[in-house]
Parts: sequence; C-alpha cells; structure tokens
Amino acid sequence: MSEPGSVNETTGAADGSLPLGGDTTPTGALRWRGISFEERMAGVDFRVGARAHITVDSDVCRSCTTRGCVTACPANLFAPTSDGGILFNYEECFECGTCYMVCNSEGAITWTYPDGGHGVVFHHG
Amino acid sequence: MTEPSAFDAVVVGAGPAGSAAALALARAGRSVVMVERGPFAGSKNVYGGVVYGRVLDDIIPTWWNEVPVERWVVRRSTMMMTEDQSLAIDYRSHAWGVAPYNGMTTVRSHFDSWLAGQATEAGAQLVTSTVATGLVRDSAGRVIGIRTDRDGAELRAPVVIACDGVNSLLAKEAGLLPRAEASHYTLGVKEVLDLPAEAINERFGVRGHEGVDIEILGCTRGIPGGGFLYTNAETVSVGVVVSLPHLAEAKVRPEELIADLKAHPSIAPYLRGSHLREYAAHLVPEGGYDTMPTLAADGMMVAGDAAAMTLAAGLWLEGVNFAIGSGYAAGRAADRAIAVGDCSARGLASYRADLENQFVLADHKRLRKAPALVLSERVQQRYPGLLCDLAEGMFTVTNPTPKAGGLRVTRAAAAKHGVKLRELAVDTIRGMRIFG
Amino acid sequence: MTTVDATTRSPLVVACLRITDLHPEVDLLTGAVTRDGLGVGLSPADAAALEHALRIAEAWTGRVVVVAAGPRYIVPVLREVVALGAAVVRIPYGDDASDHGQAAELAGDEHGLARAVAAALIPFGTPDLVVCGDHSVDRGTGAMPAFLAHELGAAQALGLVALTAERAGQTSGPTLIAERRLDAGWRERLRVPIPAVCSVEGAGVRLRRAPLSGALAAGSAVIASAPATTTTTHGTDGGADSWADNQSGSVHIGATRAFEPRTRVRPAPDSADPRIRLLALTGALVAHDPPTVIGPVGAAEAADALIGFLVRHGYLDGPPTPPAPPTPPAPIDPGDR
Repeated sequence: MSEPGSVNETTGAADGSLPLGGDTTPTGALRWRGISFEERMAGVDFRVGARAHITVDSDVCRSCTTRGCVTACPANLFAPTSDGGILFNYEECFECGTCYMVCNSEGAITWTYPDGGHGVVFHHG
Repeated sequence: MTEPSAFDAVVVGAGPAGSAAALALARAGRSVVMVERGPFAGSKNVYGGVVYGRVLDDIIPTWWNEVPVERWVVRRSTMMMTEDQSLAIDYRSHAWGVAPYNGMTTVRSHFDSWLAGQATEAGAQLVTSTVATGLVRDSAGRVIGIRTDRDGAELRAPVVIACDGVNSLLAKEAGLLPRAEASHYTLGVKEVLDLPAEAINERFGVRGHEGVDIEILGCTRGIPGGGFLYTNAETVSVGVVVSLPHLAEAKVRPEELIADLKAHPSIAPYLRGSHLREYAAHLVPEGGYDTMPTLAADGMMVAGDAAAMTLAAGLWLEGVNFAIGSGYAAGRAADRAIAVGDCSARGLASYRADLENQFVLADHKRLRKAPALVLSERVQQRYPGLLCDLAEGMFTVTNPTPKAGGLRVTRAAAAKHGVKLRELAVDTIRGMRIFG
Repeated sequence: MTTVDATTRSPLVVACLRITDLHPEVDLLTGAVTRDGLGVGLSPADAAALEHALRIAEAWTGRVVVVAAGPRYIVPVLREVVALGAAVVRIPYGDDASDHGQAAELAGDEHGLARAVAAALIPFGTPDLVVCGDHSVDRGTGAMPAFLAHELGAAQALGLVALTAERAGQTSGPTLIAERRLDAGWRERLRVPIPAVCSVEGAGVRLRRAPLSGALAAGSAVIASAPATTTTTHGTDGGADSWADNQSGSVHIGATRAFEPRTRVRPAPDSADPRIRLLALTGALVAHDPPTVIGPVGAAEAADALIGFLVRHGYLDGPPTPPAPPTPPAPIDPGDR
C-alpha cells in the first residue's frame, strides 16, 4: 500500500526531511490518496456498551426516498438493505447526532446517549 | 430507594460551559455537582480551530501560565479556494505570541479536564461516566433535579444548569428548544495528523510555541460550510464544517470532503508524509442568535452549545469562549437566585440580562444575520471563484497584450461566475451592515 | 479508605487488577508507544475478575479489596472501583517517573510483582480468594497469579470461564465451583478450596455500575499507595489464619476426557504442478453447493438438515453418536451457576 505519495509513506524521516511525492493529476495538482474507512476508524477509542443507543424502525425507512443518514453519518453506521430497510450499527458511533437530525421521517431513528462511561472517547478533540 | 442527594445546583456536562458554571457556583460557596457522561471531562468534545482565552482573564488570572496549550496562534489566514486556485488574507502578529496572548490551539481532552479541575479545586464535585437521563419536576412543573443512569438515582437541587452540549436532550425535554431544525446545525469532521514539530515549524513558518490557523471557504463542493487547518504541538488538525441538510442532500460522504481538502494544491504540501492519528465528528449549532432556545425556565438554565452559543459568523468562528462566558454567567445567576430564594424563570432572568451586557449575547445579536449571509449560495459557491479569478486576472502577466483594467477584470470574473455587479454590491452592503 | 483490622475474620476477597491504557498510540514513523492515560480502563478480563470478586464477597458476606499495579494515571479507574464499595491499594509500577527503581525492577519480574502484591495485602489480612484477569497485572503474561498462589500458599485455578461460591451446607467449608474450557466446547468443573488464587476470562459476567452515591463519595477518596516491596510475611504456612480454616488441600477435578473431533483423511492430489495441487487442496475451483434455504422449519428439522449435510459431506458418520459428556465431580448442584 506504500506507493510513492501515499499518506502512509514511512520513509525518509531520519534526517528530519519528510518523504516527498504524490500522484500527479492531469492538471498537475498533487493528489493524496485517502485511507480505507476501517483504517480511519481504527485510530478512534470506542468503549462499546451493551445497549444500542441508536435504534432504527426499518418499517419507516422502507418508505423513505432520501436516506440522508446513509451518506451523511460520519461513522458510516447506516446501510441500506435489499428489502428497502436500513441496517444500523451503534458500536463505532461518534454520538454526533447527524443521523436523527437529517432523518426526514419522524420516529424512524431513536437516538440517546450511550450508557455513562461508554461510547466514543476523543483523545485529540 | 435512598434519599436523593441534594445540592445547591446540579450542572449537567463538564465541558467548558459546565465547568465555568460550576466554578462560579463553587467560588460563591454553593454546593455544586457536575455530571459528565464521558469517562473524563472533554472526552466527548471536538472543536475546530482556535480557543480564545480572553474570557478567562476575569475568571482565572494569568490562566496562560497553566492552561494546557498546544500552540499560541500568531498567524491567522482566511483562504478562499476553487479546485486549483486559492487566495488568502494572511495576518500575522507578534503580539499574539506573547502574554496575554489572543488565541490558542489545544486538545479538548486536556483543556476541558483542566477547566473541570479548576472547578473541582474550588470545591465543585465531578461525577464522570454518568448520563443525565431526564429532569425531575415537582407538582408545579418546576425543575428540581435530574435523573441519572446510575441505578436511576436522582440528584436534587433548586437549580439545574444544562450544559449538555449541542444535542441537549435536557433543553428539549424542558421544552426550551421544542424542535431542533437541521438547517441550524453543521457537521464538523476533523482529522488529527501526526507531523513532527520541526516539519510544522518549517512548513507553516513558525517556531517554538507559535501556531497557525487557516480558515477556508470554497472547499466543500458547493455544500454550504468551510474548512480549517490548524497546528498543534506535534499534530495538525484538518477538517470541514458543512450544513447538515445540504450534506445529506448532496449525498457526499463527509470524509471525502476532508480528502478533497487535503488533496488541494494549496493544502497538500503542508500535510505530506503525515499520518492519521484520530478522526472525529461533532455537530455545531451555527444558527446564531435567532435560533437560540429560551435560556431559563423554572429551576433550570441552558448554557454553551446546548444554548446554541457558538458564533459562526464568517470572520469569527468561536465557541469555547462563548461556552465559558455563558456558563460562568449562568453560575453567577444561579448563585444570586439561590441567595434570594427565587429559582423560578423570573428569578433566573438576570442570566440573560448579564449575557446581553457582555460579549456573549451582544456579539450574537450584532451578528445575527451573519450565518445566513456566510452560508448563502453566492458567498459559498461563487465568490471564492470570483475572487480567485480576480486575483488571477490582476496578477497574471499577459505580455505582449497590455494589462487589463481592474474594472474589466472584475466584470469578466463576475460574468464567468454568474454574479451580477448589482448582486455583488447588494452583498457588500449586507456584509457591511452585518459586520461593520 | 477503609482500614481493616487484620484480625477480623470476615472473608476477604481480593481482585488483583491490571489497569492499563487500552488505547496506546503508536507512532508509525518511530514505533514509539505513547500512553497518555486517556485510554486507561479495565480490560474485559479484569472487569470480569472484579465482578466475580464482588459476587463472591456478597455470597460470603465478606469484604473486597482491590489491588492494582500501575502508574499514577490508573487512579481515576481505581476511584470507580472505590465507588463499587471496595477498598483499594495501588502498587506504583510502570511509567511513574517518581517511582523508578523498584517499580522498574518489577516490570519484567512476575515473581517479584507477586511478592509485592502479597505484601500490599498484609494490612488487610490473609485473602481467602484472589481473582485476577487472565492477563495478569504483570505485562499480561498470565503467569503472575501462579506466583501469587505460591506466595500466599493458596490453591490455584487459572483461565476460568465461570467462578461461583458453592452453596453453603453442602460441604464442610466454603468452596468455589469453577469452570474451565476443554476441547470441542466441553468444560471441566473444578471444586476449588480456599484460600485460592483464580484467574478468569472476560466472559460470562459484566461489571456492574457503581451507584450514584458511591460515585459521589469516591470523587474525594484517597487512593492508598503500597510500597513496591518484595518481602512478604504471608509465609508458606498454607494461610493458617484464613477465614474458613478448611485446608482441604488441592483443587478437585471432575473426571473428564477430552473430545477429539475425527480427522478426515484426504489423499494427496496427484499432479506434478504444485499450483494444481494447491488448487485441489484448497478447493478453490471446485463447484460448491450454493446456500440452501430450508426454513422456516422447527429446531428439530433444522438440526436434522444440518446433521444430514455433515454426514453427506463426510464430516460425520451417520447416524451420529455424540460422545458422553464428562462425568461431573460428585455432589454438585447443577443449579448453582
């Protein structure tokens, strides 16, 4: 995965200089590759509680045409299912509230805080 | 069930607002408990730029000697960008780098814990890992305490100060904020990237404890919002803040917007070779003055993000200082109300009056129209490109063709971005009225 | 902080916890590990150890003492433990800048650490039971509980998945019933005499939350620090001053025999090309049965369908005869779990 210009490049730090490189797009701009979503989330401290603090009423979701939660959730916790419902996770949740705020169907997403001491812990917020 | 614990005041949340409220009450000799749902103060909190400490001058003299700071911001840059252009107003001040300083970058887990420590040292109690699950009311409907998720036990007090953050479930339960409109909120997503201090110093042109804050417009694929990049001691933070309904409508994933920003030719050189250390997301109440909840009810007040106190007005992006200012004022109002034995909404009315007389509500009121202008379609989607093209037109050397006049360049740029000169004039006047 | 008279005879249950930063940060450039203390907490095994200790102390109406070795940043976690009603003592260990010297010696020395834990417990009396997580308070080797059992002259049963106090009146003195994993999902049951040192997996129980009153009181609690001494006076007299005085000796194991799944012999693929042989062995290019939906059916039909599948594919000889379960040790009430 360590092609030149990868943000994960790990060479050349010995003399204080950092690796130079990067993909060059047709316009000549440097482009930095992203990292996988799993890798992105791996650095975050989640203390998963026993109780799901989000619940989704999939019956309501079947009639939803916008499904804003699926793309807007920064933790990517919502996945559409083939039968038109929404599959949700709660474990790696930032507890931001985006999902219920963008949800246009009253009562589809029930959102509370995780139990005390559980959930996300930001070290560098 | 055992007798509920009784205090003079219960503060929900040990963020900057809650800690400031508890500090004010503890200093006044009141018994006060802070209830924090995370394992430590600041564990649920994220910010995006600069913490301005001036508000602390009256609360903690020479706070700058003890505050957990990453870097003191001496360079503040406002950047407008298109896909491959950028234009920045870059201000640098020596004075900002020496006491009493202006703004700092910090880490919330450290900063919020420090501020909560100030409150506990003054005599406030802090209970962590405890969620306030609801309000306790008396038969007349007055708030007289909270329920917690520890055995459902209650904490009773004549005043509850809800500093429970942007999603404030307590303000909603109390009916102070009957319905939160998604359009009044933005989502901030942030990456904290490892970068050695020497690399930060070289790339950003700073040394020692000096830091840089760059605020960016035009980097969010037309979704109303903006971006930021700021330096910590050995990390840099980069992220975007975008309007919730527009984000959902655009069907763009938030982390893609950060990836775009990191890839921009004006930003990428700052970040090369860096590694993601932590990814974070948080909501921001950006609606401003007109979207604030009622600030006090019988036996209860709201402060900080719970009261939508974040100021997001283009040139000014401030939240932590408004949280501290509003929290401290709420604490003092609670103390006065307890002293006269009237904790009704009327007894707590001095809270709002106090805020109106200081920067917290004065700034919000003066800039009440700013969020709408800053998030408007022209400011978001057209002006960054227009200004970049204007700069390009002025600074591109076209020999042997003679230089074009300023007005012609402006007309050409405006036409290219579909902005009528009249609209430009209208927005300029609006801007001057709001910010002037 | 409770001061306990060493002569009191109420049962003493100790949870020996490894509190550590569960979320250390690794610098990808240098490999340096940073433990800032923000991620500090109890691992699932240690949370289970503490819960077992609390439950057994309740069953015996005894006291709980928690001993933990770690740097100063573990103190907030110990406050949570205080909120649960336990007395707490910390042995400075690890990154404490001011505690270098003996602390550094203990870092790689399970035996030394066991001695330090035993010494730290002296003011509380002789423990009747010590419960550890299966990643012990040393660097997680799991070897420390055995050394501790030696130090205390106690029986040991390590790597348990269940641990309960045996119902009183069934035997002469208080004992513990423990379960440990064997092959193929079988478990062996042990009767463990006290005093004992047990280590448990993070399974089966979830740590209770402290009541609000406890959490309020714990906020100002002082966490005692025990010197990291390596001398102990618990001695090797078999814990003679133990609460129960039932020196029944060693752990009793019920008769067991391990269940070994049958191996299926496959002839080696005959091809000169190693790639073909590999493909044949992995079955990568062989057509597989597509998933079959047989439901909705009752549990019995579903079981028949599954067993039928296994028989068809040679994993079982049909009709299957499962091996007899291990005989449990004689007088154990199966309801007491």
